[in-house]
Order: sequence, then C-alpha cells, then structure tokens
Amino acid sequence: MHKYGLTSFLIFVCSFLVDAVAQPAAGWQETNINEVIYNAPLQIISGDHVSMHQLAAQNPLVVAFVFTRCSGICAPLIIQLKESLQFAPNIGNKKYNVLVISFDPRDSVKDMENMATRFNLQHEGNWKFAVTDSISRLISSVNFNPVWYEQTLQFDHDALLVGVNSQGFVTKKLLGLRNSKDIGLLINSINNVFSPTYRLPGQSNLFSCYNYNPKTGKNTPGLGMLFIALPAILSFSILIIIRLVSKSKSA
Amino acid sequence: MEAKGIKKNTAIWIIAVLVLFVLSIILGIIMRLNQGGAVHLDPGTFYADMTIHGITMIGIWFVAGMAGVNFIMERYVKTSYRANTFALVMTVIGVVMLWVSTLIGDFHAGWTFLYPLPFKIAWSAWATPMFLWALAVLGVGWLVWVLSLMTALLKKYSISQVFAWQHFRNKNPEVETPPFILISMISLLGVLACLIAAVVLLVLLFAEYYSHGAFVNDALLIKNLTYFFGHTIANEMLYLGLAIIYELFPEISGRPKWKTTWYVAIAWNLTLFFVLLAFFHHLYMDFVQPEGLQIVGQLASYLASLPSAGVTVFSVIVAVYRTKIKWSLSNLLFFIGIAGWVIGGVGAVIDATISNNFLLHNTLWVPAHFHSYNAMGNVLFSLGFFHWFSVEYSKRKGPERLSSLKLSFLLLGGIGFLAAFYVAGAESVPRRYSSYPVEFTSAKLLATLGAVFATVYLIAIFLFVSSIFKRCINMVLHRS
Repeated sequence: MHKYGLTSFLIFVCSFLVDAVAQPAAGWQETNINEVIYNAPLQIISGDHVSMHQLAAQNPLVVAFVFTRCSGICAPLIIQLKESLQFAPNIGNKKYNVLVISFDPRDSVKDMENMATRFNLQHEGNWKFAVTDSISRLISSVNFNPVWYEQTLQFDHDALLVGVNSQGFVTKKLLGLRNSKDIGLLINSINNVFSPTYRLPGQSNLFSCYNYNPKTGKNTPGLGMLFIALPAILSFSILIIIRLVSKSKSA
Repeated sequence: MEAKGIKKNTAIWIIAVLVLFVLSIILGIIMRLNQGGAVHLDPGTFYADMTIHGITMIGIWFVAGMAGVNFIMERYVKTSYRANTFALVMTVIGVVMLWVSTLIGDFHAGWTFLYPLPFKIAWSAWATPMFLWALAVLGVGWLVWVLSLMTALLKKYSISQVFAWQHFRNKNPEVETPPFILISMISLLGVLACLIAAVVLLVLLFAEYYSHGAFVNDALLIKNLTYFFGHTIANEMLYLGLAIIYELFPEISGRPKWKTTWYVAIAWNLTLFFVLLAFFHHLYMDFVQPEGLQIVGQLASYLASLPSAGVTVFSVIVAVYRTKIKWSLSNLLFFIGIAGWVIGGVGAVIDATISNNFLLHNTLWVPAHFHSYNAMGNVLFSLGFFHWFSVEYSKRKGPERLSSLKLSFLLLGGIGFLAAFYVAGAESVPRRYSSYPVEFTSAKLLATLGAVFATVYLIAIFLFVSSIFKRCINMVLHRS
C-alpha cells in the first residue's frame, strides 16, 4: 500500500516537473546576490571620474538603471525612489548614495545632467547621475537585460534597483516600483544590516507553504502546509489500518 | 529460536552502538580542541566532523532505544526477528554510506543538512546524493522495524488499550496496560510520524537534485519537514529509553512493578500529541512562519515535556524515597540519567520560550541542553539497559568491578563538559563556529575545558564499554 502511495506521489511530482522544465527560470531578482558588481569606470555629472567600487567605498550604493529617452518606467522609477527614500523606516543613520546610471550607449553626461535637473535632483549630494563606457559588462554582472525595439526606438526593460555594499557586493535586488518599506530593507542590506528576504515563488517552485496573491496582497496556505500535516495524518491512519487488519486476521 | 535471535541481535546492536559511540565522542573532543585552538582543522574538516558526530549520535541512540524496547517487548508480545535483522543490516549499510560521504566525500552540511546547503556543493559531487541515499537506507530499515513492532502490539491490544484510555476514568480497568506498552506505543507512533516526514523530505530533496534545478523547493517547507523529523526523533528516542526504565527500574531495584494510573496515561497521551507540534520552536527566527505557529511551538514544547517529566520524576522519587532499594550499576545509571534528562529538559524549555530564544538562539546553550539530556540522560538510560542485559544474559557473570570509579568519572566528565557549554551559552558564544574570533574572550578557554572534561567522560565510557562489550561479544559468538 505504501509503495502505491509513494509511486502516486512521485508521479504527481513528476507531472509538475514536466511543466516546470518548460517554463523559463523565474525569480531572477534573487540572482547575483553576494556577487561583486562589475567595477565599471563612471563619469558623473559633477565631472568626477571614479570607478563603481571607489564610489561604493565612499558610501554603499542604490543603483538605478535608466535611459534618458525612456518613455516608460524610468521616470516613475526615479520619482517613486525619491519619495520612498523620504519615508523609508529605520534608515535615519544609514549611509547610502543613489547612483542613476544610463544603460543607453547614446546617452551623454549632458543628457544625464538634464535628467537630474528634470527631477530636481541635481543638487542632492547623495544622488549621482552617471554614464559609463562599459555598460554591457556592468548590466550583465547584475543580470539586467534590456531589449532594443527599433519600431518604437525604446528599450523593453525592467525597473531594477540594485543594492551594492561598500565592498562592492550585490546585497539585494528590487524589481518593479517598490514602497518605502522595501526601500528601507534595501538600504539596510547595503549597510550590512540583516534584512529579511524570502525567495519568490516561481514556476519551478511547486509546494510553497503560502501562496501570495499580488492582487489582494494576502497570503493563503499552499500545498506545502499539507505536506507538513501529512506525516501526522498518515501515521494515525496507518495505526488504524494496522489494528483493523490485525483484528480481521485474528477473527 | 526467534527469541534467541532477538537476544543475539540485541547484543550485536549494543556492540555496534558502543563502537560508534566511542568514535563519535573522539570526533566531538577533536571539535572542541579545534575551537579551543589546541589543534587546527581545516573548516571543511571541522564541519564534516560535526556532521558525522551529530548524525551518528542521533542514529545510534535511537537504535539503542529501539533495540532495548524490542528486547523487552518480547515479554508481552511476539516481535519479528526478520524486521529486527533487516533494520540491523540497513543500519550498517546506511552508517557506512554516511561515514564515507562525510569522511571521504567531505560532505559537511551539518546533521540537519538544512536546505539549500546540501546543494551548495563544497565537497565531492557524489557526496550529496550518497548522504541523502544513506538517510533513505536508514529510513527504510527503521520504518519497517517500527511498523513491525506496532503491528505486534496492535495484534494484542486495541487502540484504546494500547494508549491506556481505559485508565482515564477507571481505577481498576478490566485490561491493564503496562506503562512499558503505553510509552513504547506512544514513542513508536511518534517515530513513525517523523520517519514519514523524512520520507517526504527526502523525496523533495531528490526531486530538486535529480531535476537539476528545474524543480525548486520551498525553503520554509523543507525547514519545517527537517525539524519535524530531526526534533521529533531526538525526543522519541528519549521516550524509548524511558519505556525501558518504567519496566526495569522497579524490577532491578527489587520493588513492585509500576502500574499505569490515570495521570500517567493522561501525561503520556499529551506527549503523543504535543511532541508532534513542538518542532515549531526551531523556526522562531523564520520571519515568514506565521506567528500562530510560533505560539503553538512554545505551548507544545511545554505540554509535550512537562507532564511526562512530572509523572516520571514523581514515580522515581516515590520508588526511592525512604525505601529499601537494591542499588546496582544499572538502576544508578537510570537514576542519574533521569536527572540529566530533567536538567536538559529545563534547559530546552527555557530555550523554547520565545522571549528567551531571542538571546539564546544559536548560542552554545543549544548544544548544552541537548547534550544534557543525551550524554547525561538518554545515553545513561541505554547504558543501564546494556549493563543489565549483558549481566543478565551472559555466561560471564561476576562482580562488577570499579563501579564507583566509573560513575565518578562519568559524573565529573559529564558535568564539567556540560558546564563549559552552559557557561559559554550564557555568555552568547555562538554555536557551529569552527574557531572563535578574539571578541569571544572566554570561548577558547571554555572549549578547551570542555574537551578536557569530555576526555574524562570518554575514559568512563571506556571503563563501562569494556565489560559490556566482552559479555556481548561472548553472547554473539556463543552457539546456544
């Protein structure tokens, strides 16, 4: 009986695996953590020439990837980040700089300067707008892959923030427009303060204890919770079955 | 024939357990010496030692309890010699695989092999599957053994009788359930649950390993399952030892047999239920675990341990207080073992209280309490049984020599070794560090002291083992 139970379970797992293999790997927000970001040479609008690691050594970095001709997510990303930093909890004494870097090779220092002015950030000391001549190596070191569309003359890209600590290690990546709480966790992480994170559910992650619903913002118990209860349920069932079988045999 | 076979198997179990015990203590002493700076191990070697030390200790004292319970159960029901032999063979194979995967393959993810560590390969690539398959081999052997013993009991006793439910209301029920049967069944059911948790855990880990990342596990689920298995088996093996004590302590002491009363029945039934929920206290630091389960973990930790400890201590005190007792090495070991179990249990309950856990989590307080109820608790339960068994059934009978010396060394070594852990834990010295940074000023000294006292404990074990070992070898080699 147990053999059949185990076989059914394995078939159940394998049937999910077939689907999982066909899906692209999810959760790239969790990639590159604890890896060193590429030490790209930066040209900052203030006129300074520093490397990524030198800048991080001054203060840990929140790196935002944008381009100046962006008609999509770039402006909301900067505006949201600016606002969230004002309200982020428990970051009062934490050090950080925000590095806004263009991933479009056509962008110049002048373009980035105009962008800083547009957001009224040109005089904010901890905001650095910059370009680099090594953008492809920099973005590949954080697994950021914008795709150019000739028809729209736009990049299709994610809204990505990368946290880099003063040693140049990637400590956290945030995908999408994030609230002040998430930004607070990012600032903590680049200051080497514990920031709780949990792997996001992906297509290949089948038995989560909880399922997060992004529409309602609520967690509901997942299949994983059943697995935690399963050993106790099976044990008591086996106990009853053994007794029934023993009783019927002795009768 | 089968009864003789069980007796011979029990002797083989004892020999195997004692050999592995001595080797594992030596590994433990080496680890403490390394933490003290007296020897210098590569961190990978230290963690391989830690892995094999932990998993061997858990495994051997579990099978020691099972072997003892199986042997005594023959007094009440007929047990399966085949299942016992199958478990023995599977255990030998599993242990060899475990030692090869750690000592040759250098697998060093700790005995809890917490996910995703087994898949962060920092050792020979084959060591991870071999370690997991070793657990599967052990699990299959033990599962068959547990099911066979449960079947033996359920052939004679109904479910309500085996759990002594008739004792809840009736002072003198028609069918009396001996405490040994009650506690054995409660332990076996708990062991069954944790072995099923291990099966689910291993299937999930194998699915991830052999799918090469196409299937990924949920870390919270795996941690819950790991501690469902790990915490529960560590507790159930103590209860197996206590079942033996309930049977043998009065018998060896020349006192009437202990009977199941309403409070003994209720206490152990509470243990059956709550021990399956107590493992949640291992996840206090897991912020994604719902708060409700953390509270369940704390309450279940109290309710699983306090009633059973209360009635056991009460029974032992009643048995010895102002009573003429025939003291022997076996019941002295049982008596001291109960004290060690209670002290370790109090340490565990302190740590299982959420507000305390913020301070004590992952400090040396944790190994302090589990070494208390193992090294000075469960080990003594089993040593008491081993000594009784070897004397009772051996043809090499004779006066036990150096008993006082053995017990003195055991107490001195055990208490000193544990004190070094407790003091370090109270000073927030972290556990699982291969060597300590200078900031932990007392850690190295305490580790060295711990190693010295553990060596004294080892000498005591050598003294105990030599006589038990000789008698058991004689029993195995003797034809009749």
